[in-house]
Amino acid sequence: MAILSGNRTFSGGAHPPGQKGRSCEISIQPGPPAKEVAVLLCQHIGVICEPVVKKGDAIAAGQKVGDSQAFVSAPVHSPVAGKVKEVALRSHPVLGRAMAVVIVADPPDERPAAVDAGRFADFDTEKYEQAAILDASREAGLVGMGGAGFPTRVKLDPKGTPKETLIVNACECEPYITCDYRLMLEWTDQVLAGVRLAKKASGCKRVIIGIEDNKPRAIEVMRDVCRAGADGIEVMPLQTKYPQGGERQLIRAVLGKSVPTGGIPPMIGVVVINVATAAALADAVVFRRPLTHRVVTVTGGGIDRPGNYYVPLGITAGELIEFCGGLNSQARKVVMGGPMMGLAIADMKTPLTKTSGAITVLTQQEIGSAKFAQRQTACIRCGRCLEVCPERLNPTRIAHAVKNNLLDVAQDYYMSACIECGCCSYVCPANIELTGYIKTGKIFVARQKKRMPE
Amino acid sequence: MGQTNKLEIRVSPSPHVSKALSTRSVMIDVLIGLAPALAAAVYYFRVHAVTLVAVCVASCAAAEWVCNRIRRRANTLGDFSAVVTGVILAFSLPPALPWWAAMVGGCVAIGIGKMVFGGLGSNVFNPAMVGRTFMAASLGTLMTTWTVPATVDPVMPKVAPQRLDARTQATPLAWSKTAIKNELGATTYNRQIFGSTVTGEVGGCLGETSAVALALGGLYLLIRRTINWRIPAGVLGAAFVFAAAAFVLDGDVVSEPSRQWLASETYVQPLFHLTSGAMLLCAFFIATDPVTMPLTGRGMWIFAVGVGILTMLIRVVGEYPEGVMYAILLMNGATPLIDRFCKVIPVGGKPGGKG
Ligand code: SF4
Ligand code: SF4
Repeated sequence: MAILSGNRTFSGGAHPPGQKGRSCEISIQPGPPAKEVAVLLCQHIGVICEPVVKKGDAIAAGQKVGDSQAFVSAPVHSPVAGKVKEVALRSHPVLGRAMAVVIVADPPDERPAAVDAGRFADFDTEKYEQAAILDASREAGLVGMGGAGFPTRVKLDPKGTPKETLIVNACECEPYITCDYRLMLEWTDQVLAGVRLAKKASGCKRVIIGIEDNKPRAIEVMRDVCRAGADGIEVMPLQTKYPQGGERQLIRAVLGKSVPTGGIPPMIGVVVINVATAAALADAVVFRRPLTHRVVTVTGGGIDRPGNYYVPLGITAGELIEFCGGLNSQARKVVMGGPMMGLAIADMKTPLTKTSGAITVLTQQEIGSAKFAQRQTACIRCGRCLEVCPERLNPTRIAHAVKNNLLDVAQDYYMSACIECGCCSYVCPANIELTGYIKTGKIFVARQKKRMPE
Repeated sequence: MGQTNKLEIRVSPSPHVSKALSTRSVMIDVLIGLAPALAAAVYYFRVHAVTLVAVCVASCAAAEWVCNRIRRRANTLGDFSAVVTGVILAFSLPPALPWWAAMVGGCVAIGIGKMVFGGLGSNVFNPAMVGRTFMAASLGTLMTTWTVPATVDPVMPKVAPQRLDARTQATPLAWSKTAIKNELGATTYNRQIFGSTVTGEVGGCLGETSAVALALGGLYLLIRRTINWRIPAGVLGAAFVFAAAAFVLDGDVVSEPSRQWLASETYVQPLFHLTSGAMLLCAFFIATDPVTMPLTGRGMWIFAVGVGILTMLIRVVGEYPEGVMYAILLMNGATPLIDRFCKVIPVGGKPGGKG
């Protein structure tokens, strides 16, 4: 049906079951109150922050606790008032272990106030200068909240190649996750305010909001407000296909243009920001609120009370899961993010970060028996991985090169162009962890270049 | 989190879900696709079909099991690929072949064609075709002794290769070839033979005779996307174009107007080449063996067109009436090379002018 809709898309990709039904009708609720938070100093791409507070310091809610002088970086803030307990290592979903500022809430944190939907009703872009918006986005520690965590200030930077088009990533193509969907339905004005601010800051003339066509209500709601606002913001329904929300795939679908391999969207005059980031930008500019809370979807067959929660960042995955009734007896995998690109965590004390849009708890049935047993068989060279690869790579060649320690061959086959979307592993009948091998290969290469500590 | 600790929580790289697809399910799909042709084989060749398929499948499976045992590897029979090889091998054998010959063929197909390379996925040549080549080279006339379908003559008499008879013909291809050589030419070629190649009521290898059954199974695999559409399109397209060109360019078209569509003086009409011999079996089931064909789209086109043209070259120019087997093996051999030269270029082009 989606194919017949005539909506645009990219080539390749896969159709994992959406599984959004569990949480898509549940409105955003306040999350658990924070007793203690661990604010990781690295929640973004770029230079890691240095702590700017020390053990024993008293902290106000929203106070900056880590910062860096580098341009490509984003400060981190405390969601609660309290006292710094320590600056110590904590589990990090990507890095394994990383430094965090640990703050004990004092007085005990109230539940994060349910957000007043009317706050942005009389928003007016004219009140904000371009420079002020850019500064606020830096000061508030904004990063791309869709997953990558690229500092928003850098992305919006109007210097360099003139930016023509701002694309708002409202695809939410990752299965299970519904946080962006709820944001569009419930915090519509705030999202729109953020989009306008981003437009102004980046100097883009054209704005397109790309939404997958499995979210007709979101398309309708966004269309309505955009029509009312009437300042050239366009809503474009896109085919429902994973990874439609991948930055490069989204640009391809919306504009029919490809970002050069190894390049970034600004090279072709495009800026992409995610819905949640837009909402956070509005908060940062209008209310000077740093990015200390976000909406997180807690979902999956391993959770009895799924939902969408507005939570303080720095509480642990375990706390949020307990708040949703804990893991049930079927739970087999706890994933930070969605099932395609999320990271499986072993330590329930892993703190939530700015990019944690979801906690997905999967059951054996959802994982699939072969995957669960990690039963990999020989590659039958069926070519399915090539067919689904949205970047048109040769996943089996790259993965097997990495497996045989032939990193130069892997690079010959454009390993670095892989966006780690997981489509290849998803379709492989031999159940080979192609994406896993490719990620490993990239880490090896980075180490060889001495960019990453051993 | 008392309860959490008791649970078995796993960690592994993303993605954390996978499509319900396995090597076994792919192979079972292929077997379903082969089912109509199997039914046709049983219908036309009765007990011969049952024996040959059973013996080939059993010997392929046994060979795989034994090889894995010898190399102390895990048993791989569960992926059903040996069964597919067995059925395809049986389909490409003359119906009246003695069971012991089929058994040898099955063992060679799996043992030499697949296991010495390291098992499924590592073999360069299509195992069934390796087995068949071995048999063609070693069994002599046994491999060219055909059987009249049971629906034509219930006794199913064997036919020597050169016997020319419209009804108890050897195989349509051999017949057309010999007919041409004997300068009987297309004038003796009749409409009935073309019709028979469609239904399958002709002499020939066990599973290749019925074009309708093969096309049905092929269609199923295409719809299920189990096989890549480029392969049958390339093989059949190239073969048809080649045959049509030969047919038209020959010029010396049969003079009698009512029969002009049938054949030129030296070449049979192109459609006949598609429905007869192992062309359809090849296009849908043999050339599509993923292991032995190229990975990339462009590579697949080259491979498929190569198979189609080589088959036709052997049929029209070469000594043999049938060319599928050698065409497949030749293109299998070229596959690593094709893959090397047909690298895919990323969506965003080659990075920064390098490479
Ligand atoms: S999908 Fe899996 S089996 Fe098929 S070619 Fe790719 S790696 Fe090999
Ligand atoms: S190779 Fe990379 S980009 Fe291509 S499908 Fe696999 S994970 Fe996605």
